[in-house]
Amino acid sequence: MAETAHAPSPPSLHPLLIAPAAVLLIAACATDFIYSQTLLFQWDNFSIWLITAGLVLAALAGLALLLDVARRRIGTLAWGRFAGFTIAALLSLMNAFVHSRDAYAAVMPEGLQLSALVTVILLILGWRGWSLHAERLSHPSRPAGTRS
Amino acid sequence: MNRILLGGGSALAALATLSACGQKVADPSTQYGANPVLPAPHEYLLPPMEVPKATGWGKDQTPVVPAGMQVRALATGFKHPRMVYALPNGDVLVVETNGPKAPIYRPKDYVEGKVKALAGSAAPGGNRITLLRDTKGEGAPELRTVFIDHLNSPFGVVLVGNSLYVAATNELLRFPYTPGETHIAEKGVHVTDLPAGVINHHWTKSLAASPDGSKLYVGVGSNSNITENGIAVEADRAAIWEVDPATGLKRQFAKGLRNPTGVAFEPQTGKLWAVVNERDEIGPNLVPDYLTSVKDGAFYGWPYSYFGQHIDVRVQPQRPDLVAKAIAPDYALSSHVAPLGMAFSQGTSLPAAYRSGVFVGEHGSWDRSPLNGYKVVYVPFRDGRPSGPPQDVVTGFVSPDGKSTMGRPVGVALDRTGALLIADDVGNVVWRVTSAPGATK
Repeated sequence: MAETAHAPSPPSLHPLLIAPAAVLLIAACATDFIYSQTLLFQWDNFSIWLITAGLVLAALAGLALLLDVARRRIGTLAWGRFAGFTIAALLSLMNAFVHSRDAYAAVMPEGLQLSALVTVILLILGWRGWSLHAERLSHPSRPAGTRS
Repeated sequence: MNRILLGGGSALAALATLSACGQKVADPSTQYGANPVLPAPHEYLLPPMEVPKATGWGKDQTPVVPAGMQVRALATGFKHPRMVYALPNGDVLVVETNGPKAPIYRPKDYVEGKVKALAGSAAPGGNRITLLRDTKGEGAPELRTVFIDHLNSPFGVVLVGNSLYVAATNELLRFPYTPGETHIAEKGVHVTDLPAGVINHHWTKSLAASPDGSKLYVGVGSNSNITENGIAVEADRAAIWEVDPATGLKRQFAKGLRNPTGVAFEPQTGKLWAVVNERDEIGPNLVPDYLTSVKDGAFYGWPYSYFGQHIDVRVQPQRPDLVAKAIAPDYALSSHVAPLGMAFSQGTSLPAAYRSGVFVGEHGSWDRSPLNGYKVVYVPFRDGRPSGPPQDVVTGFVSPDGKSTMGRPVGVALDRTGALLIADDVGNVVWRVTSAPGATK
């Protein structure tokens, strides 16, 4: 992958919020899966709180991104990754409504399918870290901003 | 991975078709009686709902009754009146009450609480019973006293001999009663525990006495809409209990009735009947609330099925053994009317058309658009069985545009003069319906 020649960007805020949001949304997939195996309602309750908290952090991450852009803490925005995270957040919002159904229908089948889809998206995006700096799109084995 | 993507894709496709609006809602009249039309259940992202804003009654504003009748406020200014009961000497008891604070287990519980508060459901109850004395029987009580105070979310009331039974949300109480009494100061005697606990989702405990007074029947609602709080908390619930008032011993008389908010004995046959609130969130025309005779030992389906063997897939694991035993109720009232009170009409002084049936107070529900219920209906009976569709008796609780409710009917009763009394927990009024003066009877 081509490397950009920018100097290291100043620290930005948004990855600090995207990362925990992603963790919570991925955890909801785990609790959904456990619900599907046990049918114990409390796992569904875990899922909806995880998704809700994940969405709150995702919203804050959006604000942080705006702040980073406004403060010029971000060089070029990685639009593809931005779109990916946005889709994951929108699917999770939809999933929050699905999880607000009662009993089995809160998770099965659409709830688990959506949290699995969100998990796949987040794992693919997260493989390259949680930043939306285009210049950080280097392989994780080479720290961002370094040149070989 | 492919499976996940496929699954996610099909979930999206399914959700896209669900959110398609403009679905035609069949008229409630297709769901009256023994064989209601039951559409296929739907799961929603957001169930179609309509929550009219609670405004209360303006000056000189009243509900509407058919020609030949008139309606007037018997008394106003109550704290969430939900039940009315006429004592033999003509005194009227008004149960002012509301449920205990509901716990928040999911974000939805918080949102739902806020939405229902708009419709007036969150107003604090008085936790007391007020007595009205109208010696002349003209609808103008000259005396109003606090009859019994400091109760825990009371609902059902019944007098047997000199014992007044009150169904608080957690226990059945007995008070000694002397005719003419206007205040009972002593604490009630504990007869038996009733299912309550931390969740106590459907908190009302309806109450009736057998015609000979030897047994009491208590309607106990489920602890959830459809087992979203787990099946364990449903033990002893969604049932009608038979209590021996002498010993406090009890047994489940009938099960699988989601929320039996009214119980009463049909005077001609002496059989027990109930009005029951069925489950929410699977469509505007599911599941019809109903009126039914209650058979000893019968199972009426909740939570596993409705109207016989119509399975509710939200309940897992299912119980095919119980579904096989489930019987259908006698008479559907149509969906989401929320019947909260019933009174058989024998002895009424209302016009002749209302003298052999049952009045049902339909509180109305958030879970339907367009609205249904929000009125008092009359179901005619012949030979102890319903003999025709429900007829509107008292309407006009909702504004013509459906955006606001001035009142919502709950408990109904006949007073000593045969007038129909209605507790209105949004208007905080007790209404009295009589034949219009000079009307041919």
